[in-house]
Amino acid sequence: MGTGDYLALAAGAANTIAISLLAIAIGTPLGLGLALIRWGRLRGLDNVVGALVSLLRATPAVTLVLLLYFALPTLGLEVPRFAAGVATLALGSMAYNCEIWRAALLAFPHDQLDAARAFGMPRGLRFRLVVLPQIARAALPALVNEMTLLIKVSPAVAVIGVTEATRAAVRIGAATYNPIPPFLVALAIYVIVIGGFVATQRMLERRHRAGLFA
Amino acid sequence: MTTFDLTRRGVLLGAAAVLTVTGAAKAVTLPEIQKRGYMTVATEDDYQPFEFTKDGKPTGYDQELLEMLKKKAGLDIHQDIIPWTGILPGVTTGKYDAAVTAILVTQERMKTLDFCSPVAESVDYYLKRKGDKKIQGIKDLSGLSLGVEAGSAMLKLLPQLDDMLKTTGGHLGKIVSYQGYPEAYQDLALGRIDYVVNTLLSLESIAKTKPGTFEVGEAVSKPTYIAWAVVKGNTELLNLFNEFLLGTRKDGTMYALQKKWFDITFESMPEAPSANV
Repeated sequence: MGTGDYLALAAGAANTIAISLLAIAIGTPLGLGLALIRWGRLRGLDNVVGALVSLLRATPAVTLVLLLYFALPTLGLEVPRFAAGVATLALGSMAYNCEIWRAALLAFPHDQLDAARAFGMPRGLRFRLVVLPQIARAALPALVNEMTLLIKVSPAVAVIGVTEATRAAVRIGAATYNPIPPFLVALAIYVIVIGGFVATQRMLERRHRAGLFA
Repeated sequence: MTTFDLTRRGVLLGAAAVLTVTGAAKAVTLPEIQKRGYMTVATEDDYQPFEFTKDGKPTGYDQELLEMLKKKAGLDIHQDIIPWTGILPGVTTGKYDAAVTAILVTQERMKTLDFCSPVAESVDYYLKRKGDKKIQGIKDLSGLSLGVEAGSAMLKLLPQLDDMLKTTGGHLGKIVSYQGYPEAYQDLALGRIDYVVNTLLSLESIAKTKPGTFEVGEAVSKPTYIAWAVVKGNTELLNLFNEFLLGTRKDGTMYALQKKWFDITFESMPEAPSANV
């Protein structure tokens, strides 16, 4: 592998990180929104969200990205490929995160809400000050777990020409007939990126524990 | 028996799902393209020596032809570089006006695509490990395990090899399908399979790269053609491509490119491709 190949892999890594971070930044809060709709038992909407989540969880990322990129233009909606890639991963992440947030919400002790209400705390404040900090801590390990899965699903978006780390490695392997070195580099890239996420999770958990026992 | 790497031309489930949902798309005609001011084409990224990427830049035989077309066509050409899986769905849904990639012309593909004048000829050969004494000729392939790419035209051409083997009382051995040829070559080198069937151009390319590991055998199929494609019925656009392609054959530039990338020339190809698979 030459310098050009390493540069191509670095550009691929940058794409992997960019689409994954954007999808996580979009999918995680959207998942929380959907979970709140289900938790609040909003009539009608509740079932719609349940069906949407089931549908998205049943759709392979490759199929979804092909649909967004090739089928939407026939309906007159042109989607840039990077956006189609991010949207695909964000939709999947939203569906899985909805269930993670919902689990945390279901486990949330109701007496705390009753106490807050007794003090006349309005709904928004109740959520922000009482519920969110606690469910965020409870959901963190599962959310980070889902993030690492998302990063590993991200090569699926290469099918529409988004050259992320794995595709960059495939291209080098195809040009040199020697696929193992670029794949080893790609593997190292994923280990480092995912390691970054896990380290951030540990740091947040440590900080929280320190706060608790201070 | 020719087989280009065209193997990857398999139709994947995801792609099929997209087509089912969207149905056949309407073609953007040449006047519409001229009015819009640009044409969109899809090319591949890992199909040596036709189209691949070197240091992140597209290169290869088709790429050089495309660059000549860009200069001659008098209209802008927007190029999307995507894996094989997305190419045919992209053309049939109308996302791209043409697939400028090495597509093996088959009867099935002719149902949804119109193929341009061929850019190369393909005969399938077999590739064996260098110095493998048990394979001296076609008849020795009987009963041995072989590797091909899943969903490929090469896979469809295997009955022709089976017929050849039957004339000497033999039979086709176990067929192992791979996601891509690089994996098949890897397994051949490791001794997990005995030979790989692919188009001669691709096999010569790998044998040249790894002369100590692989050796090209003999032809195991009848010739087929490799061509670019537009969606079925987009005749004016097809004519624009054909005029350009036949022009490069007349002035010899296409043969010069074939010499450069394949080390052989195909001067006896028909003007319009026929499907032998």
